[in-house]
Amino acid sequence: MILRTAVRELRAHPGRTAFAVAGVAVASAMLLDMLMLAGGLQASFRGLLSGAGFELRVSPAGTLPLDTDATLQNAVVLADAIRAEPGVAAVSPVLALNIRMEQPSAAAADSGDAIVFALGVDPAAQGLYRIADGRDLEAPSEILVDVRSPAGVGDTIRLSGVRSFGSAASASSELIVVGTAEFIYSSASEVPVALDIGALRQLASRPAEASFFMLDAAPEADPDELAQRLGVAFPSVEIVSIREIVRRAEERLSYFQQLAFILGSVSLVVTALLVGTIMAVSINDRYGIIAALRAIGVSRRSIIVTLLVETFVLVILAGSIGLALGSLTARYLEGILSDFPGLPAAIRFFVLEPRQLWLAISALATVGIAAALIPAYRASTLPIATTLHREEP
Amino acid sequence: MPVVQAIDVERTYEMQGVPIHALRGVSLDVGEGEFVALVGPSGSGKSTLLHVLGGVDVPDAGTVVADGTDLSTLGDRELTRHRLEHVGLVFQRFHLLPMLTATENVEIPLAEIGLSRADRRQRARDLLDRVGLGDRLKHRPGELSGGQRQRVAIARALANRPSLLLADEPTGELDGETSRGILELFESLAGSGTAIVVATHDLKLAAAAGRQMKMVDGRFNGVELQ
Repeated sequence: MILRTAVRELRAHPGRTAFAVAGVAVASAMLLDMLMLAGGLQASFRGLLSGAGFELRVSPAGTLPLDTDATLQNAVVLADAIRAEPGVAAVSPVLALNIRMEQPSAAAADSGDAIVFALGVDPAAQGLYRIADGRDLEAPSEILVDVRSPAGVGDTIRLSGVRSFGSAASASSELIVVGTAEFIYSSASEVPVALDIGALRQLASRPAEASFFMLDAAPEADPDELAQRLGVAFPSVEIVSIREIVRRAEERLSYFQQLAFILGSVSLVVTALLVGTIMAVSINDRYGIIAALRAIGVSRRSIIVTLLVETFVLVILAGSIGLALGSLTARYLEGILSDFPGLPAAIRFFVLEPRQLWLAISALATVGIAAALIPAYRASTLPIATTLHREEP
Repeated sequence: MPVVQAIDVERTYEMQGVPIHALRGVSLDVGEGEFVALVGPSGSGKSTLLHVLGGVDVPDAGTVVADGTDLSTLGDRELTRHRLEHVGLVFQRFHLLPMLTATENVEIPLAEIGLSRADRRQRARDLLDRVGLGDRLKHRPGELSGGQRQRVAIARALANRPSLLLADEPTGELDGETSRGILELFESLAGSGTAIVVATHDLKLAAAAGRQMKMVDGRFNGVELQ
């Protein structure tokens, strides 16, 4: 009976209800977007790093992988030494640098010389790409190209090292494309390639360097403890677990959470003000009928519950529309932000998780009901006789 | 034992800072099946007396005893329960919920008392049948005439089988024919034992009552026996 009364009361005033629903829906959309933004980037970043399957990273001291152009020297010896440590299942050295790519033999005419981001990997143990077409690298004369590259399987590509100021002419080499791949960490504007790390070292004249190592911990080893132990054993390099990288990234991205918290709070305040005002106006219009209901024996509790159920229905209806609106807005904003330079294309700013959905709905319902409490309580305690005197002619 | 008894009741309001003495030492007994009409000019205290008798308003002085209970001893919760179980109230402006059907409006006090859905639906239908609205069960107040709305309000007032029915200008906004229908209904209710007190300007309605009590300036100004 209470729910039916609440729904019909809202339907009886379509203009007022539509206005309230629209206002709360917009505030709800903003709240959802802020909740998605607050945890989305971190969740996406965490997923991206964890998905590769290597739990630790080794990089030059004081840096994180690909933070700077600094490289690990004597990387071959270092990799062997780390590989020999207990608890280490695999070590995958990676050399990442820009390199000149000449026009592929069978590719389109507009794909002339370009500087590309090249990843030198150990094909037997890598976590940087997934093969989309063809096969993985098997020999130093082979190369994988990005799925968006104009080159395809069977094409020949000439790579040569980029000459820095004052350096001697670098080596060049022809490589056969054996597959196309999705590069996990590449940005939207990057079209990387991958080749054997030995071949890349030779091309770049960096025979013993690596940008970082990816380490796989043995199943029984705790990645954090292993990182700590290796850190003591190899003090000249930075050894961190993915968990630690995610923690550091979260620290760097904490301003997103602060921004989301502030804007999310603003949307809740707007919801509270809107619901409070609408309910106050709506209840004010009904003082006569509320006084009459109290006079015929309807309890204060029933009056409050009826008005709060009405508020709840309003907020849930508006919230549902707002959450759908928020998802659409997030998708649109994601499209804009995904072009952010240097950011892995797989990174998502807005990630919708069930927890956030429930949090948004709960926050809206709580705030809406709290905002309606005062007008509802006032209605339940209004002086019955005085109100009836005023209402009756 | 009277159904309701007011003893030396006084009630003063303040309106825009000016004290209004609505009731000045009013005493009244209403017994089972009695039909009492309160008449008098506007502002003479008729509505205030109805509210005080029904436990809607609390007197500043004096006592109101209903079914043997001094209403001043009851807190808000008990007083609300008393109104729900023992008093039926009819307003000049009906005060029906516009979005609910006639049946649902009558169900309100029944739901409040905790009756099951099926039981309250049945009782609401019986009551609407009794007031001649058996064919208007699913109509909303906006789809009913003034007289039909007032009959829905009376059915709602009778829902919990009250011992006392209080009606404030129940025919004030109705035409002559509809007023006669309401009057017949009150006579029938009084005949079945319900104590009825009506505040009215309607001379025909007042004339049909067992007792007419004229109020002037918050006091009774003589008793006219029919």
